[in-house]
Amino acid sequence: MLDRKLTFVSGKGGVGKSAVTASLALLAARRGLRVLVVGMVEGIGVASHLATEELSYSPRRIRSGLDALAVNRTDALDEYFRLQLHVPRAAPTKVLSRSLSVLAETAPGVREIVTIGKPVFELWQGRYDLVLVDAPPLGQLFSYLRAPNTIAELVPAGPIRNQAGRMRRALLDIETTSLLLVTTPDELPVLETKDALDQLAAEPVIDLAGVATNRVLPELSLTADEIATLPDGPHRAAAAHHDAVRTQQQRWMPQISAGPRLPYLFGLHTAGEVAERLADIWDELI
Amino acid sequence: MSTKVLVITGAGGVGKTTLSAALAVTAARKGISTCVVTVDPARRLADALGVERLGNHPTEVKNQPGLAAAMLDVTASWEAMVHRHAEPETAQRLLADPFFRALADRFPAAQAYAAGEQMAEHIESHRWDLLVVDTPPAGGGLDFYTAPGRMQEVIGGRLLRWLTGASLPGRRALYKVTARPALKLADAVLGGPLLEEIADFLIDLRSLYDGLSRRASAIELHLRRATSIVVTTAEPTPLREARRFFEELEATSGRPETVVFNKQLPAGWTDTKNLRSAEITQETRVAARENLTRWASEVRRQHDVKQEFAARYDLNLVDVPWAESAPTSVDALADLLTESPDLLRHLP
Repeated sequence: MLDRKLTFVSGKGGVGKSAVTASLALLAARRGLRVLVVGMVEGIGVASHLATEELSYSPRRIRSGLDALAVNRTDALDEYFRLQLHVPRAAPTKVLSRSLSVLAETAPGVREIVTIGKPVFELWQGRYDLVLVDAPPLGQLFSYLRAPNTIAELVPAGPIRNQAGRMRRALLDIETTSLLLVTTPDELPVLETKDALDQLAAEPVIDLAGVATNRVLPELSLTADEIATLPDGPHRAAAAHHDAVRTQQQRWMPQISAGPRLPYLFGLHTAGEVAERLADIWDELI
Repeated sequence: MSTKVLVITGAGGVGKTTLSAALAVTAARKGISTCVVTVDPARRLADALGVERLGNHPTEVKNQPGLAAAMLDVTASWEAMVHRHAEPETAQRLLADPFFRALADRFPAAQAYAAGEQMAEHIESHRWDLLVVDTPPAGGGLDFYTAPGRMQEVIGGRLLRWLTGASLPGRRALYKVTARPALKLADAVLGGPLLEEIADFLIDLRSLYDGLSRRASAIELHLRRATSIVVTTAEPTPLREARRFFEELEATSGRPETVVFNKQLPAGWTDTKNLRSAEITQETRVAARENLTRWASEVRRQHDVKQEFAARYDLNLVDVPWAESAPTSVDALADLLTESPDLLRHLP
């Protein structure tokens, strides 16, 4: 999970992808890597797991070896045109500079490539050993990963197309770039993850590092018969609940190939605690 | 017949669709004629309702008399909207335009706007006493409330004015003389006829404005009259989305009347002490205590989270218990809400 320089983390909304992103970053920093966390569409989730305030476009030092930033479209657009397309800040005509913003709002793929371009740009800058991206949820992920192809279909030649080509190659480079999917062992996240895996197989736009399953309940050291011997009350109800939820989880888990399994964390109050605990768990897994 | 409307919003994955269906089934069983509009329901839920395929057009739910169900079809909604508001020739051009497809497919407000259009249509048909609307998860459900205004902005020519610098962007002839040559120049730098095409597209899009603008105002009015119910769990991501309803929405449009906490555990589980029974072994006793202690810490966490939320927004919260397995029948859907009478007071 930490061996590629650029790793995108995605999953269905609510499965804990921001927590997983933050925990991997904490672990990598503990191991002495220089790490950058990028909140791609919404920085607040990963920021809370890193126990920090809302992030901004320029990297903020979280702790030694760990920086974080959040992409916002205005700054990303500016950087895209100036540094990636080499359009000077004082654009040749007023119409051109206005047009570029409209282009980003309207043309399919441009808004997405501007956003996904930020972490790739950070990779190219080479200031970090590892760039971990809290990527958009599964429902939107492919419109970002496919953006270079969308642009190639739309623009016949020129700097936008050339930049899209560089982006496409960077996302496809299995030496440096990968995608980690996160799911929980529940019906809808598992089914959505399976759809995403099919889509990736049909259109390999990025290499899959694996699928991590989050919130897996531990085995209950009570059999159904033993539960039945418990007197009516909370002990029996909680045991029956645990058993029933775990049975459902065991039903959905085998539907996706085995990857890292992260346990259900009981009773942790803050997002920061969750990420730190997950980092401890990753430390034993990888 | 005036239709009572319940709008069910919240982040993805909190059980909105299931709770919408449960409310609708419960209402139908009380003799209230009901329609539920869902967004992309799981196969299982469709099975539970006994419907094979759902579309924008409501179909009767075989397993539950008095209940109809529909599912949002964004593409079909957009096509219908274009045909309604544009001249036939413009409509054809728009529907074939890749920029239009991109707008309809990916612009999150576009999906939310289409859902609003569907809602308005069902309300105005006066066919039901109750309409339960399950909303797209984009923006934690907030998009559903802001979409009509944002669509007006996009289609109202803000982009076009910006692009061409013209005050009257609807005038095609004027645009050809003033802005088009400049766009050609910009396109030469970027490497394709992109901006010219975008401008042509925006001019066509603007012809929808008058019709769509009236419609958007009607949808906003329906939204103000609707009862808004936010669904969340005690997990950080959905809670953050739920908070945005109170912090980013005007009080008039969609301030939630009820916040539902789904997947709640019984408060009584914090009582970990008493386990007296002659018939159980010591190992069973230890294992049962250990397990209950874990879950009790979850009960306390849920409790603290809810207390903080209720205090901050001065609200009544409704608990819905954690259902261990997904409901697979209309009976199971109705059972979900038997312990949540506070939610049922919203039924007409």
